[in-house]
Amino acid sequence: MSEIRVKVADFAVAGTGAVIATIGLGSCVAIALYDPLARVGGLAHILLPSVGMSQDRENRAKFAGTAVPLLIEQMRAIGGRVERMRAKIAGGASMFTALLPTSGIQMGERNILATRDALTRAQVPLISEDVGGDHGRSVYFDVTTGNVLVKSLRRGDVTI
Amino acid sequence: MSDMTTLKPNQLDALREVANIGAGHAATALSQMTGNTIMITVPKINVTRLEDVPAQLDSEDEPIAAVLMHMMGDLTGRTLLIFPQPTAVRMAELMLRRPIGSSRDLGVIEQSAIKEAGNILAGAYMNALSEFMGLMLLPSPPSLHIDMSAAILTTTHLQFGSDKDQVVSVETEFMLKDAGEHLRGFFLLLPDAASLQAILRAVRLA
Repeated sequence: MSEIRVKVADFAVAGTGAVIATIGLGSCVAIALYDPLARVGGLAHILLPSVGMSQDRENRAKFAGTAVPLLIEQMRAIGGRVERMRAKIAGGASMFTALLPTSGIQMGERNILATRDALTRAQVPLISEDVGGDHGRSVYFDVTTGNVLVKSLRRGDVTI
Repeated sequence: MSDMTTLKPNQLDALREVANIGAGHAATALSQMTGNTIMITVPKINVTRLEDVPAQLDSEDEPIAAVLMHMMGDLTGRTLLIFPQPTAVRMAELMLRRPIGSSRDLGVIEQSAIKEAGNILAGAYMNALSEFMGLMLLPSPPSLHIDMSAAILTTTHLQFGSDKDQVVSVETEFMLKDAGEHLRGFFLLLPDAASLQAILRAVRLA
């Protein structure tokens, strides 16, 4: 089994036999899309909700709003079909909450909301998630089974 | 933002010098707290894209204890003190005057000791900076988080940074020789973009 590492603001797509992993998500969100019939999967590690928050317009994997269409395109190219795709997401934590302003929604929450919104717009159903809280996560997406293992230091491991 | 990436060599030198003065005072404070000799490295200035924030530690999922404080007043930004978790446990033992290996984990008292270490270090650092530059700097109360190193670093910039593209960190490594073991930690000054310029103005190199 080959493991593909996805860095911050990066993505990868793969077929059966691969595990796509991303390490140390805090307020970032990992978006895993899966076509169970073609056994094609894609994972993006997004940093920000939308391109409007950045000068960087080049990297589509950096933003929730652009990463979802990017994953769909790239999965199509290796045999995935958008109407069969399902999504799982993880991340969006808040840290050092005592120092955060009490009003307004936090970056982690904004990333979660923007990701859900991007999935709705792309008509990809969100079937499972492990989001929010105040703990970091690492994600291992097994493209053979579609299972997403979410590891954390303090909350243990869950499969979504 | 362009000014962050185009720091001139003499400006970088000045920033390193400012950081060195801060870190020197912080090291003295830490040394008094723990009764050990503390060595510090020459400060490193990292100007990177947020997604390329350099890892101080070997592994992205290594557990670290991090103490974050806001810096307020004439300069705004944050300070972040980072210890690998086993070092944090040992630091807590040193501060609580406990024998080596007597603490296994970071409980409430140990966490409180680490936060206090952060408080004293950042306080000494900011005091030195404010005296040297003639600026008023005020630290917020400390907040402690224990988690994977990559998650903490990225989230700190993402949640609190004024700029979501470029980040600047002024990094000093601390080393402490304890019972033949080298313990290390990192102190990061994370100035907001405008404050970086304010520092340079204060040392007349803007």
